[in-house]
Amino acid sequence: MAMRQTPLTCSGHTRPVVDLAFSGVTPYGYFLISACKDGKPMLRQGDTGDWIGTFLGHKGAVWGATLNTDATKAATAAADFTAKVWDAVSGDELITLAHKHIVKSVDFTQDSNYLLTGGQDKLLRIYDLSKPEAEPDVVSGHTSGIKKALWSSDDKQILSADDKTVRLWDRSTMTEVKALNVAMSVSSMEYVPEGQILVITYGKTIAFHSAETLEQIKSFEAPATINSASLHPAKECLVAGGEDFKLYKYDYNTGEELESYKGHFGPIHCVRFSPDGELYASGSEDGTLRLWQTTVGKTYGLWKCVVPEEENAEAAKARTTLPGTAEEEIEDLASENSDTVYSSTPEVKA
Amino acid sequence: MTPAEEPVPVPVLRLPRGPDGRGRGFESRRRHPARGEAEAQRARARLRRRFLRALAAARGRPARFWLRAGVRVDATFGAADREAAALLVEALRTPLGLQEAALLRGPDVLCFRFPLP
Repeated sequence: MAMRQTPLTCSGHTRPVVDLAFSGVTPYGYFLISACKDGKPMLRQGDTGDWIGTFLGHKGAVWGATLNTDATKAATAAADFTAKVWDAVSGDELITLAHKHIVKSVDFTQDSNYLLTGGQDKLLRIYDLSKPEAEPDVVSGHTSGIKKALWSSDDKQILSADDKTVRLWDRSTMTEVKALNVAMSVSSMEYVPEGQILVITYGKTIAFHSAETLEQIKSFEAPATINSASLHPAKECLVAGGEDFKLYKYDYNTGEELESYKGHFGPIHCVRFSPDGELYASGSEDGTLRLWQTTVGKTYGLWKCVVPEEENAEAAKARTTLPGTAEEEIEDLASENSDTVYSSTPEVKA
Repeated sequence: MTPAEEPVPVPVLRLPRGPDGRGRGFESRRRHPARGEAEAQRARARLRRRFLRALAAARGRPARFWLRAGVRVDATFGAADREAAALLVEALRTPLGLQEAALLRGPDVLCFRFPLP
C-alpha cells in the first residue's frame, strides 16, 4: 500500500529557525540543535524531535548553532556580537567569545578543542577552548560578511563562504589556498568529510564541489530559490528547501527529483540529514522544525509502520478487553504495546 | 484515485514533545544514567513489573496480612494504589467484627499472602 510522508513538527521557537545541526551518533542516540531569531537555541533528541532544553543567555538573534560530535558541547553565533560555548548536558553557558560584529557561523574541530567563528566583520577566528581568554588566531581576506565557516580535511583546512566567494584556507599557515567565485549569493554550505564533498547553494542551484580543489563535481537546478541543501551520508540522495516552502529530494547520481513535500508555512532556511541518514530536519521562517523520513513508511523514531492486519487486531483487542478479571489486568500490565497509534498527525498550527 | 488507492499517511506514535514551559530543561540529560546504572534501572523495571503482576493476581483472592505490632488479619484483597501506600480490602476480619471494606495503610503492612487459583 502506498504511504504518504508524515512530517513531525517540532514547535517551541517563536521566530524563524535559521540554522540547525545534528551531533554525531552517541551511546545515547543523536541530538539536534536549532538556531532561532528569538535568541533561544534549543537542543532536541535527534530521532524524535523531543525538546531537551533551551540555551539561555544570548541577547540577540542566534544565526548559527552547532554541536560537537558526542553532543557534550554546543556552540552558538549571535547578533549580540558574541559566540558562546555551552555544556550541552547541563545547558550551562561555559564561554562567551566577544566579537566586533554579528557572528554568523561556529564550528568545532573533531576533538572539540578549537572553535572556528565567522561573521559580519569578515574575519575568521580560531579559538583555543582550553584558553578562551587568549586572543584567537585571526584569518582575514574575505571582502564581505562571512556566512559560513567550516573545518575540513581533518581540521587541517578551513572552508568559508561569503556573499560571492567560497575560500579554502590552510590552517597552519593561515593563508588562502584557493578561492571560488560564485555567480549568486551563497545561501548555504555543507561539508561532507567522506568523499571530501562541499555542497553549496545559490539562487536555484545546488552545487557539489571537491572540498580539496573547489572544482565543481556536478550541479542541479531546483524549481525555486534554494536556501539550504544536504547530502545523504550514503550519497544516494540529497534534500533541499527554499523560498517556495517545499522540501525537494533528488537522486544524487541522476539529478532526478524523487519527492517533494509541502508542509512548512514559510521559506525553509536550513535542512540537514541526520547522521544515520534515516531522517532529515528542516527549519523554517514559520518558526518550526520538521522531521521527515528518508524512507517513507519505515518504522523509525516516532514513525510506526502498522500493517493493516496488525491494526485490526489491535483495535479488536481494545474493544473486547473487559476490566475486572485478573488475567486481563496482567495482560495490560505486561503489555509493551500500550502506545496508541495515530493514523494521522494532528496539525500543529505554526 | 479511488479511496482504496489513496496513499495512507505514515502513522506516528505521538508528536515530538515541546518545551515544558517550566524552565530551560536539560533534566532528562542530567539525569541520564551511566551505563552501569542503566542495567540497574532495567532490573528495577523488571522487579516493578513483577510486583504489579502480583498485585493484579491478588485481586479478589482471600489473603492474610501481617501488620506491625504483631497484628495479623484476614481479608479479601481488593486493590492497591500506585505506590501501594494504601491497600483496599473487603471482608476484613477484625476483633471488632467484620469490616465490609477497609483501607490498610501500606507502610503498616509488613507482608501479605494469598493463594493462587
